Parts: sequence; structure tokens; C-alpha cells
Amino acid sequence: MQRLIRQHWWKALGVLILLYVFIAGMLIPLKPGITVVNPSSTRTGTELVVEVEGYNTNFDQAEDTLRMWLKMDNDRSLAATNIEVLGPTRAQAEFRIPEYLPSDQKVQDFALIIDNPIDGASVRPNAVLVTQDSIDQEMGEETWQNDPLTNLHEREGITFPFRNILGETIRNTYFHVSLWLAMMIIFIAAVVYSIKHLRTLNLEYDYWASALTAVGLLLGGLGLLTGGIWAQYTWGTFWSWDIKQFTTLIALLIYLAYFVLRRAFPDEAQQARISAVYNIFAFVALIPLIYVLPRLTDSLHPGNGGNPALGGEDLDNTMRMVFYPAVIGWTLIGSWIASIMYRTSKIEESLLDQWED
Amino acid sequence: MLPWFKSRIHHWKFLCDFFVKTNQWLSSERLSKSNFVLLQLMNMLQQTLRLLWRDWVLEWRTRYALSGILLYVFATIVLVYSALIDIQPQVWNALFWIIILFAAISAIVKSFVQESQQRQLYYYSLVHPLALLIAKMIYNTTLLFILSLLSWLVLGLLTGNPVKDTGLFVLAIFLGSVGLSIAFTFISAISAKAQNSATLMAVLGFPVIIPILLILVKIGANALRLMQDTAIGGDILILVAINLVLLSVSILLYPFLWRD
Repeated sequence: MQRLIRQHWWKALGVLILLYVFIAGMLIPLKPGITVVNPSSTRTGTELVVEVEGYNTNFDQAEDTLRMWLKMDNDRSLAATNIEVLGPTRAQAEFRIPEYLPSDQKVQDFALIIDNPIDGASVRPNAVLVTQDSIDQEMGEETWQNDPLTNLHEREGITFPFRNILGETIRNTYFHVSLWLAMMIIFIAAVVYSIKHLRTLNLEYDYWASALTAVGLLLGGLGLLTGGIWAQYTWGTFWSWDIKQFTTLIALLIYLAYFVLRRAFPDEAQQARISAVYNIFAFVALIPLIYVLPRLTDSLHPGNGGNPALGGEDLDNTMRMVFYPAVIGWTLIGSWIASIMYRTSKIEESLLDQWED
Repeated sequence: MLPWFKSRIHHWKFLCDFFVKTNQWLSSERLSKSNFVLLQLMNMLQQTLRLLWRDWVLEWRTRYALSGILLYVFATIVLVYSALIDIQPQVWNALFWIIILFAAISAIVKSFVQESQQRQLYYYSLVHPLALLIAKMIYNTTLLFILSLLSWLVLGLLTGNPVKDTGLFVLAIFLGSVGLSIAFTFISAISAKAQNSATLMAVLGFPVIIPILLILVKIGANALRLMQDTAIGGDILILVAINLVLLSVSILLYPFLWRD
């Protein structure tokens, strides 16, 4: 460890990784998607004319190759009878909704699928809601004219997935979620050093524990900040007392209390031992706060209540290529800051000793 | 891991030396290992009960906590009642747990802080430190449980009793008393080491007990039928789990705390 903090390769690695994360995370474009479908509801037996607004799309270049479907379920879909391109991101499509649907629900939801060779296929779930005037499932199945989805295209090049509501803010995964993971790693390291200190009563371990805790607090604060900025764009307010925001705030308060506690003891050995005890206690109290409680209540946060989050389709391989390096990068930079703080504490100690002599 | 474990064992042995000496009929040759552990546990149990009894006698002589808290509950209710006139079940639930929280703080803050450093040193030379900690925790739990039931009674007399599921509510009060006592007793042991302990206790304690309070408010809302949650059993289990984890961490860490 002593040798490692004097070496520079891992610090340079951290900076390089974060540079890569910032460049790739900010510059790689989003996959084309559908932002607006208007009108979003209709009745059976009508000619439906919808105006579609796309995101990052090139409808004008696609022209005749542009195709659209309303998809009811995996086997059934309706193709657009006529498509009019109004601009690169705007188009108008006509659909003929049959008199009866092969469904026993009063209101049936349809997903809109747009496909062209340039942008590839994009989907908007629950795009159009069709209200049935009279329900007759058998009749609907008999008269259904199926237009299966065929020859869907894939967009070429590297892209991040497009998600409704999230849009461009999906990039926050690299500057919020990864910060949290790095914070957790740093806090765990701090707890390990606290345990080491209790076993050996060596003050150096206490310097490490306090430096790492300070860095974890910094990363947590930054994570809360980026989360708030993200919430400003998706939830509408910076702070909405969502359970995740609330428990996070409490978690940061626990660690702020750690520093209040440190200031309360004039004697260095006592300060080190008692703050190590509190650090372990606080970490144990933190686990239910961050990992158990948010799962008990409804939350708007991705990962809760059916909202998209890590895993599944929401974190695809392109995102993983940036996300995991981001975690490593933040952890390395955090360790660098911690090692500087550790060295300052040591210098302070030796200066104090000199002064006392 | 091993040297640490050995040092722990040494620590136990050191503390037990005292009792071995007092029990002359058990010479060290006759003392088998299982006997040793058993003796130790018996001693700890005895010490815990003794300390518990002492705490109760102290409380009974002054009745400081009981009368103080009852006055506090009464003042809070009168104040809220005069401000709101009609206390809705939702407000009742919040009010009740706020009263319990502050009752817990003012009752438990004195468990370690009230003893002077010299007297604590005297205790530690007489008893196993864990016996002291566990005695304090049990005492605080029972005190807080009784205080909660009394506040419920007073609150119910003044505002009517909105609790529909009495069993669930009593369970919530019990688990809440256990959790709050464990957390606050340990925090009190930490803050007793510093100068301005009362402030430090609030700063350290509040964030730590928030998870317990959040679950308590939820179970309380269920008991008042403000919300219907079929998975309330899971919440209760999580509360029990949090209590157990906090208890075991306190027991593990206390030996490092008491020495000075």
C-alpha cells in the first residue's frame, strides 16, 4: 500500500478511464425513438390518422421505405395503409381499425412500430389505446387481417438505447449509478480499515478510514446532485421526497455524524477507536436504509415499480462498455483523493510531533 | 482472523479470572473447558439480572423517567389538541411515534451518560462489560415499552382510540421499543465518552433510527387501518432483522468501546 500510493500508473489510469467515460458517455448518439403519437386513443371501426414525432430519425431520407405497424400482441399487428413524411422527425400515418378486435378487453392497447433501413426499427409501447364499442372476440378473430412484422432493420453503428421519458438522460447512468457503486466500494474499504484499526489500534488505519469515509461522502453527495439534476428533467422537480432520495439523504447524514463525532474527542487514540466503532455501526445501519427500505415502498426511481433500471433491455452491451469503466474510474479517482488525504494526515501528525518536541 | 480470535478468547479469560478467584472450590486444574464457558455464562446472566434490578430500583426511587415522560406526553397532546382540535387518525399515528421517539431519547440518554467515568470504571472492574450493556438494553426496552403503553393510554383517553388492530399495534410498540433501545443504548455508550453528550446523541442517533421509524409508521398505519397491506408480515420480519443486526453489532463492538 505504501509503495502503491507513490506510484502513478493507477492514477493516470483513473483519469484516462474517466476521460473515456465522459467522451463516450456524452458523444455516442441515442438509438432513434418515438417521442409523440397524436392522437393516442381512438374507437373501433374508424380510420385513424396519427401524427408521429420521432427522435434522432431520418424519415425524409427513408421516404418510401418507411413502414409502420400497430402491434396488438406477438401474433397480431396492423400495417399502416398510407404514410406521409412531413420532415426528418415527423410523419403522418393512416391505419384502418377494424370493427371488432380479437380481444375481450374494453380498451386494448397497441404498440407503434416504425421501421426503415436507415434508422432501424423503433417501438413505442402503449402508443394508441383503442376503445371497443361492442366486444366480440370470436368475430374479431374471424375478421382480423394480419400484417405480420417482416424484414425489420437494425441500425448500424454504436448507439445507446432509447427509452421513453428517459430520453437523453439515460446517460446519467454513468454519472449517477456508477458514482453510487464507487461510493459503496469506498465505504466498504473504510469499514475494512476501521476493523483493522480496532484489531491493531494502529493510527495509520484510522487515517485511511477517515480519508475513505470523506471520499465516500463526497461521491455520495455528487451522486445525490446528479440524481437531482436528472429528476429535474424526468420527474419535474429537483427534490420530491421520493423514498430513494429520502433514505439517501439519511445515509449521508449518518456519515456526516461520523465527522461530528470525530471532532468531539480531543484525544487522538480515543477519537480513532470510537469513530472506528461508530463507522462499523453506521455501515450496518446503512444497509437496510439503502437496500431494504426503498424496495418496500412505491418509488418513481428507475428499478422500482416497473420503471426501467439496470439489467434486462435497459442496460445493453454498449452501455455496459461505458458503465463498468465508469465505476472503476470513479473508484480509482476516489482512492487517489483518499491517499492524498491520508498523506496529509500523516504530515500533520509528524509536524505536531516536531512542534511538541 | 485467528490472532484476533485468540485475543478475544484471552479477553474473556481475563475477565473470568476474577470469578475463578472468588470461586475457590473450582481450582484451575479441575476446570474443564465446557465448565468454564458455562460458569462464565451463568455469571453473566447473574450480573445482568443484578444490574437490571439496580436500574429499576434507581428508577423507582426517583421516578424521573416515568413522571418526566408522562408530563411530556401530556404537554404534547394538549398542545396539538388545542392547535388542531380534531386529531385525524393519520395525525394520531405520526404524533404517537413522535412522542415515542422523544420519550426514547430522553429516557435512554441517561443510561450511560448519567454515570460518572469513575463509577463506570468501578462497574467494569466488577462485571463483564457485556452484562452491563445487555442489562441497560433490557432495562431501556421494558421502560420504553411501559412508557409507550402509558402514552397510548393517555393519548387514547384524550383523543379517542383510533387503533383497530390492537395486537398488531402492541407488536409494533414492542418491536419499536426493542429497536430504539438497542440503537440508542449503543449510541449513548458512544456519546458518553465525549463532553457534550446530549447533542452528540441526537446527531448520531437520529439518522440511525430512521429505518426503524419508517417501518414503525407503516405498521402503525396498518394497525389504524389507514392502509391495507397484505405483506405486513414481511415488514415485521424486516424490523426484527434490523433489530437483531443492530444488537449483534453492538455486542461485537462494545468490548472495544468501554476501555479507556
